[in-house]
Amino acid sequence: MSFREHDRKTFIADSARAYAQRRIGKREFLRRMGLAGVGFSAFAAGFLGGQRPGGGLRISKQALAQDSGPDPEMMKWLAEVGRPFAGTTIRYTSEATPPTIVLSQLVKDEFTAATGINVEIEIVPLEQVLQKATLDVQGQLGTYDLYYLDQSWIATFSPDMEDPRAYYDAKPDLAMPGFDWDDFSPPLVDGIAKFEGRLVGIPFDIPIAILMYRKDLYEKHGLKVPTTMDEYMANVKAIQAAESASGIYGTTGQMRSGHYSLECEWTIWLWGNGGSIFNASDMFSGGDEEGIRGLEYMMELSKNCPPGALTWTWDGQGQSVTQGIAGQLVSWGEFFPGFDGTDSKVVGLMEAAIPPTPTRVRPSSEAGFGEIPHIGHQGGSTLSLSKYSSNQEAAWLFMQWATSKDVVARGCVLGGGASPVRLSAFADPRTKEAARVGPGTTRHFPAIEYTINNMMGSEPDFPAWAEMANNLIPVELGKYLNGQTKTAEECMAAIEGPANEMAAPFRRT
Amino acid sequence: MATALAQRQAGGGVFRLPRWLAGDHPFPWLAPLTAMLLAFGVYPLLYAVWLSFQERSRVTRQFEFAGVRQWATALADDRMWGALQTTVVYTLACLAIQLVLGMAVALLLDADRRGYGLLRALMTLPLVVPPAVTGMMFLLMQDAQFGVLTYGLVQAGLLDPTQPLLGASSTALAAIMLADVWQWTPFMVLIFLAGLRALPKEPFEAAAIDGASPVQAFRYLTLPMLSRVIAVAVLIRSIDLFRIYDYVYVMTGGGPGTLTETLSFYAGRIFTLANFPYAATLSLIVLLVLNAAAMLFIRLTRIRF
Repeated sequence: MSFREHDRKTFIADSARAYAQRRIGKREFLRRMGLAGVGFSAFAAGFLGGQRPGGGLRISKQALAQDSGPDPEMMKWLAEVGRPFAGTTIRYTSEATPPTIVLSQLVKDEFTAATGINVEIEIVPLEQVLQKATLDVQGQLGTYDLYYLDQSWIATFSPDMEDPRAYYDAKPDLAMPGFDWDDFSPPLVDGIAKFEGRLVGIPFDIPIAILMYRKDLYEKHGLKVPTTMDEYMANVKAIQAAESASGIYGTTGQMRSGHYSLECEWTIWLWGNGGSIFNASDMFSGGDEEGIRGLEYMMELSKNCPPGALTWTWDGQGQSVTQGIAGQLVSWGEFFPGFDGTDSKVVGLMEAAIPPTPTRVRPSSEAGFGEIPHIGHQGGSTLSLSKYSSNQEAAWLFMQWATSKDVVARGCVLGGGASPVRLSAFADPRTKEAARVGPGTTRHFPAIEYTINNMMGSEPDFPAWAEMANNLIPVELGKYLNGQTKTAEECMAAIEGPANEMAAPFRRT
Repeated sequence: MATALAQRQAGGGVFRLPRWLAGDHPFPWLAPLTAMLLAFGVYPLLYAVWLSFQERSRVTRQFEFAGVRQWATALADDRMWGALQTTVVYTLACLAIQLVLGMAVALLLDADRRGYGLLRALMTLPLVVPPAVTGMMFLLMQDAQFGVLTYGLVQAGLLDPTQPLLGASSTALAAIMLADVWQWTPFMVLIFLAGLRALPKEPFEAAAIDGASPVQAFRYLTLPMLSRVIAVAVLIRSIDLFRIYDYVYVMTGGGPGTLTETLSFYAGRIFTLANFPYAATLSLIVLLVLNAAAMLFIRLTRIRF
């Protein structure tokens, strides 16, 4: 490295550190980057200033400037194996989640530069990804080569996606050396990527529910980190009682009627109270004793939330914590880095911990359709390869690159402490280095790792589940939270009939 | 001219246009438009009708003929009737507000004083904002914690701070209507203004000489003379209002529960969930209701196009 290059990198790193520590503003940071010849797109610049709340999408400035760069060995292999596909364009559609944002930043300079394969990444809201994928596979069009598939859709799209493990073995000349399939957390592979024993994609994103709380409020009111459901509720009420006058609520929620986020909120408390969505006979069981207790628990929490929680999805929930109006929550761990972000009012005040122990955990054998009840609701996703793609091999190279050890570990830091889908990501020196207060922190990784391995909950897998989880259940839950349905029993009864009817064609017994 | 061109080209020995193209027959000129109508109007409609007689198997994901089952399901679907009711309430309420407000503002702006031209030009600004963006603006303004509108209403004692505008059953629909009224009242204003500016001056001068008050002039001259303009404006806005989707999608997602779920939004939600036949049936119901209402309105108001 020349002295000039060394000076430039030092200047970038110093500026990034100054910005991360809020000694200089965004404008000054961008000006300095301009001087250093670093370009930011308007899109990336938006993330510097906190677009999506919750912080999952905030790219750490420090990390951006100090990124170690790609693994040279992998780049060499990509250049060799990708040569025959140079000029090919592959298409990928996804929600705006941290790993996709990271890919969109890295792909041109790394993957495309090495292989000559162009990648069009189409970022749309999650429900539109579902719509696009559905239309594409219905006509077997192959419009998209790769999909970001939410875990709740895996069964639906299983017939339309290649089994990546089988594909890897079938194409040894395209198989990335040292890809290390065993490095993916086994519970994630089972919970996110497998349907009926077959891989539908490679784990790519892992938002998972952990406990996050305001350390300052806990200390102020002599509260301890809750380990049981009762303690959790007691803390919520204690904070609410003590702080409501100052505009701080006991907890917060993602309870927008009719939205999938409300279904996710519900399952956390359903599973945390010993219930399950389906029983061993694949019949809806949200209305049993534990199910009712879970729903009433959620209703009680909603009374200690900011009123806006009834209109928020995950975005609003994360934003409410960032704005300092909620004391604690069990929700997506990917929010956490945003709490230490530049626009946050709770920098360094939030702590992460494992969720409280459920009252009882219903064993998977007593639940239906592969459901795994536990409080750590995982909302993970896979990167999946379409069977109808006409550029399958080029897309397969991209898929391996995107889920490689190197990109996953760097993505954890660049993507703001999110998506450690590989075991190696937790131990990687780069992610450990980022475990300090500041944007893109990975301070919450130990809680994430423990929850994945010990407390992870997964939704049922069957083709009608996406429809149920995105329409029937959140609509009826919304009616209950809003008072249109009077009792928890009435709410669950309204779901039970249609749910059993929709599940009937897929019932094993 | 086409014939002359063909003859000249034939004389030059370049090529001869087919007779039907070189003649005076209207077909060549109507063909492009007809083709477009068939491709983008008739074919989608026929496809939707065909879809409404199918059923999409959740197991095989193939379409299977289902007769009138989708239509029967729709007619027995409480949610469909609820959505229809919400749509009608939304349409009528917004229409009434926009009509009255639009007329009032148009009457105020119907003057040639200095600065009024600029005011009239400014009225077009809300119209150029995409409805989804308008929805997002109002979503933020009406947020229970951070919204400026909520803050103002709470400070004025008009809103219970524990009741989010968009999350409470009593206010959610009205909160969406607010966005619609803000965006589309200027449309009514512009149409009414165009009508007002085109009215002859003489009847008003005669009425003034006869001692008619401004209210009487409005009641007995302006309104009757503007009635056709008003009818057209009402027709256009009604059709647009009945198809409301964007604001609902962005602001409430149909909630709380299904209280703000309109028919178009319900159809869209079902479409997103890949139940294309039922979504097509719901869309056709929108079309049928809208056509019936529009035809009745045209007949009653005797609009001639």
